Amino acid sequence: MNLQFISDGPALIVQNRTRVLVVADLHFGIESDLAYHGWHFSSRSDERLRRVCACIDATSPDLLLLLGDVKHSIPKTTRQEFREMPDILSAFRDLVPVRVMPGNHDIGIRRFLQEGELLPKDGAVIDGVAYIHGHTTPAPALLGHLIIAGHHHPMVSLHDEVGCSLRAPAYLAAELDPAKFRHAEKKGTRKKTRVLFMPAFNEYAGFDILQITRHPFSPLSRSIRTERAEVFLTDGTYVGPVSALEDNVAA
Amino acid sequence: MVPTSARFLHWRTMSLLDRLDGRVRSCIKKRGFSGLSDPQMQAIPLILDKKSIVLIAPTGTGKTESAMIPVFNALLTSRSDGGIRALYITPLRSLNRDILYRMEWWCNELSLSIGVRHGDTPASERRRQALSPPELLITTPETLQALFMGRRLRRHLAGIRYVIVDEIHELAGSKRGAQLAVALERLYVYAGDFQRVGLSATVGNPDEIGRFLCGARPFSVVQVPVAKQLDLTVKFAGETFKQQVEVLSSMLGGEGSTLVFVNTRVTAEALGHELFGRGDVEVHHGSLSKDVRIDAEERFKRGEIKTLICTSSMELGIDIGRVDHVIQFGSPREVARLIQRVGRAGHQLHKVSHGTILATGFSDLLESLVIARRARANEIENVVPHVNAADVLANQIAGISVEYGEIERDRVREIIERSHVFSDCGTLLDDVCRQMQEHRLIHLDGSRIITTARARKYLAGNLSMIHDERKVPVFDMVSRRTVGTLDESFVVGWVHTGAVFITKGQLWRVIEIADGKLTVEPAKKVHGEIPSWEGEQIPVPFGIAREVGSIRRDRMIRDYTHEPDGIRYAEKFLSDMDKNRSRVPTDRLITLENTDEGVVCNICAGHKPNEALGRVISILISAKFGTTVGIELDAYRILLRLPLSIRAADVRDAIISLDPVHMPGIIRLALKRTALFKWKLVQVAKKFGAIDQDADYEKISIQRLLEFFDNTVIQKEAYRELLSEYMDITTAAAIVGLVRQGDIEIALGRLSMIGAEGLLSSRDQIPPPTADQAVISAVRRRLESDDVVLCCMNCRDWKSRTVVSRVPETPQCPKCGARLIAALKPWEDPLYAIANKKKKSDEERATELRLVKNANIVLSSGKKAVIALAARGVGPENASRILGTLADGDAFYREILKAERNYIQTHRFWQ
Repeated sequence: MNLQFISDGPALIVQNRTRVLVVADLHFGIESDLAYHGWHFSSRSDERLRRVCACIDATSPDLLLLLGDVKHSIPKTTRQEFREMPDILSAFRDLVPVRVMPGNHDIGIRRFLQEGELLPKDGAVIDGVAYIHGHTTPAPALLGHLIIAGHHHPMVSLHDEVGCSLRAPAYLAAELDPAKFRHAEKKGTRKKTRVLFMPAFNEYAGFDILQITRHPFSPLSRSIRTERAEVFLTDGTYVGPVSALEDNVAA
Repeated sequence: MVPTSARFLHWRTMSLLDRLDGRVRSCIKKRGFSGLSDPQMQAIPLILDKKSIVLIAPTGTGKTESAMIPVFNALLTSRSDGGIRALYITPLRSLNRDILYRMEWWCNELSLSIGVRHGDTPASERRRQALSPPELLITTPETLQALFMGRRLRRHLAGIRYVIVDEIHELAGSKRGAQLAVALERLYVYAGDFQRVGLSATVGNPDEIGRFLCGARPFSVVQVPVAKQLDLTVKFAGETFKQQVEVLSSMLGGEGSTLVFVNTRVTAEALGHELFGRGDVEVHHGSLSKDVRIDAEERFKRGEIKTLICTSSMELGIDIGRVDHVIQFGSPREVARLIQRVGRAGHQLHKVSHGTILATGFSDLLESLVIARRARANEIENVVPHVNAADVLANQIAGISVEYGEIERDRVREIIERSHVFSDCGTLLDDVCRQMQEHRLIHLDGSRIITTARARKYLAGNLSMIHDERKVPVFDMVSRRTVGTLDESFVVGWVHTGAVFITKGQLWRVIEIADGKLTVEPAKKVHGEIPSWEGEQIPVPFGIAREVGSIRRDRMIRDYTHEPDGIRYAEKFLSDMDKNRSRVPTDRLITLENTDEGVVCNICAGHKPNEALGRVISILISAKFGTTVGIELDAYRILLRLPLSIRAADVRDAIISLDPVHMPGIIRLALKRTALFKWKLVQVAKKFGAIDQDADYEKISIQRLLEFFDNTVIQKEAYRELLSEYMDITTAAAIVGLVRQGDIEIALGRLSMIGAEGLLSSRDQIPPPTADQAVISAVRRRLESDDVVLCCMNCRDWKSRTVVSRVPETPQCPKCGARLIAALKPWEDPLYAIANKKKKSDEERATELRLVKNANIVLSSGKKAVIALAARGVGPENASRILGTLADGDAFYREILKAERNYIQTHRFWQ
């Protein structure tokens, strides 16, 4: 199995027998919510759509997997979403088969999808790799595989001797700690389970990785071995272990 | 007005009075005045002749009456069609109240109606004004904006014949002023040509003030010089605060009343604290509540207290009765400010204003001497209006769209181009309109601008161009108390979890931004992210800093002062510099001094050029060395916070390598990712309606949001304002030019007394210009701190675990002296024992071969090979490929990154 990092996404190509393009946290329709909070921007859905299509064109995948939070508004679907979602999804379908792993923002997304496109929210294994949005406890079947998850929108801040030199979207890779994760042992699996948290495709989203490791907010992020977690940039550059980030920031 | 006991009036005064209506004349007599002041004699005839004028005269010479006597005369003698007939605009509500108090008497006598309207005016009074407006309305620039919004009020604007703008020098150089200039042209649409009168303190460029007020229309300037009426002394008050307080206290003992001006609220409070014990002192500054301030003003007026310690809050012409003496504590920083402040002394009775500057240190003393000389010589700074400020334009387009509902873009252009500040706005109007539509503040329909539902709400929150910032409390989680506040725009634009900043002289790390507050914990690290936010400082202009440099060079302090303490102190300071063998930085010498924290660059260039220079030098260094550079600076020095490996000579090289032509481009790059820039970007974006005044910034990752202003008119405006208001890149480039020509010399040295004199003003940090550099530095640091096991493949009897950074350039076995050293990752450690086994399996023999190959690479490439071999997934094959490219420096690390990425994308890594 090979991973290919698409930094113009950020997105991932997971290559096994099939070629899966994984895109997480698109949050189409976020602008309405931003406006509600006092930030007034025109919809950037077109730009985001073009960016996804460019990734598809560049990588010729067999499958496009949207890893949750395709839309943004909850609990109600907004007018912006009713207007935009059908066209967005059919634009994808025209290029490649689509699967959607539902996220916490995807309430009501079923109406926009076709038969067989919606995956179960506690995750699915496709071609040997496990996928989940990341807000729920993963199904036991996922354990022992590499789990690719969205939901956390990781970003990294690089620090040097004088200050913060860069903030950028990033991947966080970590091992699931069986001691913390009750399901890990129940299944009696011997194999290590690793989790790869993907950065959000949506350009507005981002949580500092240290915020994720120090104040975990999901079953997955609460169950990882943070001391051995590693950080990668969107082009696959290995930044270093999370502990090194801590050293640079901590008092 | 000059009350005098003289019975006979000068014939000129007589003939002037003859031109006035009898009722006005009798008012003048009734008021007890029998003579007119200089400004009045000159201004009244011009205004009677229907001319627009700018009247420049010191405070307290009856400027208000100069304007209002002829206006009253005209109001009495011309017909009224109802509505407002004259507008009197001042920059402050408190000044409005003061003017109202003074004008009410005249209006009562002359049976004219008068009213005041500003933020504090109650709704009932507003309603009354909407139904029956006063003939003379006193207001602020912001409330004038509101007048255009009401349908009824707009009708009352048509009859306006006179607009008086008081303290116009305060407005002309600000965005408030640019907004007012457009508002006057919006008024012109209803009222046609009206007469304009600007009342100003002394400025260097009165004609510009005239253009600001009148646009392209004709105007006259009436200027009454002040210099001859100033009596200025500079006194050295000692280096310590205690000494300074003693000197100040001893000066307050005598007869008469004193105003003590200070530059910051903190100083005002500190002095107040020391002097309250005397019982005759009060403090007055903007952070105090209105009641407290008015109480202090009243008690001073009544003579109950003899001294008022104040900030710029007291500069404007609020009447506080008689002031005998003005003391400026610390350098006033600008000539105009000194004249304005000292002008508060000697109202009415005394023609001469007495002022003393108490200097508080070496630079402060020389600066004060220079400013006093310039004040006597009438060399005053210019006021520079904001030309083509995009956020002001956005604000005014929003206002106009609400005013008209919908309007042709060409008509808007007509209105704004009549004002001086937008007379040449070119494509700016279209750019601004497009951006406003992006944020749904207006709607564009072909050539028409149409108002939106949001616009009225936006205007309610954005009547003013003053950034009335929410303050975000900073809460220390450890001590469970609030330790200070930060500007909201600063928090929005820059602060993120893990960020370290300074406030109240201490380092803090951000834990959380939530519930309207910033939760922090103390950070102990000396190096950290340094932006601090302690208010904006008054900048020292280039010319003054330069002249200070020339005094340091020729040491002719005696040309500037006769005061013995000051002369003795300054001469001793300079001779101590000589004794320490520190070269004294001057207008022709820049000294770069090494300290533990970084490098101090002593450059006598003033705040704005230093701000530009500091940032340009920083970005060059951060690009070259891949490190963030922290900067702190004032008018005479820049402290660059640097890793210890970067020294003064590197800074010199950076300066010398600069081509002045490239500096404007470089500074934009340098600004882009700084706290200052983001702070300004947020402020401008708010005026474009992109961000509400009460936007919720806790749930959203704002940092990335700001990237979407790239190459927009919002970003351009942030640059324009920073490059005109905060820094001076033109002068900075000129200085670099002089260095390159050899007219300014650069010397290196250790920290000197001048370099150590203390930095008070702006702080920021400049990250490396591209992500690439930041990443490479991060990876370089990671590799250097990686553990490595060195083992001798020659004697097979030496192994040592260390970190990469400690490995010598050519590793050598201490036992046998051979250089055949293999560099292993810590988990490869057991391989050494395997390779050294007597009997080996095939697999073990292969391992041995790998180690020998590894050692051969180290033998030929030394430490570089060790670094490459420390990288993730890089074995001997990859390492020799990387080293084979002969790449050096950044390129070398780029090759390593490439190899790591290849490894990481493969199966092995993820299973």
